[in-house]
Amino acid sequence: MLTRHTARVSRIGLLIIGLILLLGAGAVLARSLKASTTVLGNPHAALLTQGQVQYATKNSWVWPVVAAGSFVIAALALWWMAAQTRTRTVHRIPVEPDRLHGTTTLRADAATGALTDELKSHPGIRASDAVLHGSATTPGLRLGVTAENRADPGLVRAGVETEALPHLRGALELDKIPTVLRLQFSRAFDRHLT
Amino acid sequence: MNEFASGADHTAVLAHDGKPPLPARADAWSRPGPRRQARREFRPRRRIPGVLVAAVLVAAGIVGCIWAASAALGQPLWNIPHSDFAGPLQSTVHWDDTGTLAVASAVAFVGFLLIVIALVPGRPRAIPVASGDDSLVIGVPRRGLRRSLGWLAADVAGIDEAKVRMGRHSVTVRATTRLRDPAGLRESVQAVVEDRLARLDPLWPMRVKVRLRRKKG
Repeated sequence: MLTRHTARVSRIGLLIIGLILLLGAGAVLARSLKASTTVLGNPHAALLTQGQVQYATKNSWVWPVVAAGSFVIAALALWWMAAQTRTRTVHRIPVEPDRLHGTTTLRADAATGALTDELKSHPGIRASDAVLHGSATTPGLRLGVTAENRADPGLVRAGVETEALPHLRGALELDKIPTVLRLQFSRAFDRHLT
Repeated sequence: MNEFASGADHTAVLAHDGKPPLPARADAWSRPGPRRQARREFRPRRRIPGVLVAAVLVAAGIVGCIWAASAALGQPLWNIPHSDFAGPLQSTVHWDDTGTLAVASAVAFVGFLLIVIALVPGRPRAIPVASGDDSLVIGVPRRGLRRSLGWLAADVAGIDEAKVRMGRHSVTVRATTRLRDPAGLRESVQAVVEDRLARLDPLWPMRVKVRLRRKKG
């Protein structure tokens, strides 16, 4: 599914950062706890040696390299953040892509608007929202439906499955639109009646 | 013979309590594919911890970049006195000090926590229910289902209040009544909730438990 890419971005990034922190801190702990004096060094030594402190002042390339490294980290983190927050909404959908006579595009909100209007006219459905996402040629659909709590969810489901979604597929001329439907319930009608 | 046939028809319709028959069940829950797909879809994305960690990294990267660039140009923005920072680090702070151990342990713990957040699948945000179409994944958000079942239970005549708790594979309804003789009430609540769940057709079976309490007054 199209959302799978964005679904994994957060977890993979967290795993990488977590491993870096754990391994780095683990190495410090290993030296502190005298795990291996020959490899890691003497635990009684100070954190920095005289040579390490003087190194930056003696070599002029250290600070520019640190600056460049920090910039790369900031840029990567920014890209990661953008990848996690991106919704990848589709705004225009090509219909009848015919290179010779030009292409016809359909506004995505016109298609989803027709879908939600149709769903809202269903007696058991109070509200609906829909967003097409992913690529314009093979979009996925995120659909939200708020059903009247006393309505039969089987009928609501049938309305979505056998009427609304086939109509959208027909309008967009697609055989398949991977859809995620979030079904909610509302009780406002009940209060009105009682 | 004809009468028998129509009689059988009649009972078949009545078996659904006069409600229209369910749409053909997709047999989705007997196949692992749709279940796995739904589980993957409604698994927590870990977007909030991801964005938080990314923001910390962006901030640290920008601050570090500005600091190192100004130091490279020979005009450090924050002139850290030698005695405050590098001094202690090369004289009084040692690898086996408690402070070093504490800081390293804290960092290791944060790293461990991030790994756990990344790897633990987490509770699905929605209960997946059967759909008749392989390209359609349907989920009922846990909170929404809890409220919906609570309203249904509270609408049963004789029930004052109903609260629902959702487990992984179970639904517990705690209902209160003011009736002196609540005979059969527990069963009606159970039937209402079970009927709703059957119509939703979750991809894994959900057990329903009803606890009825009598309220004086």
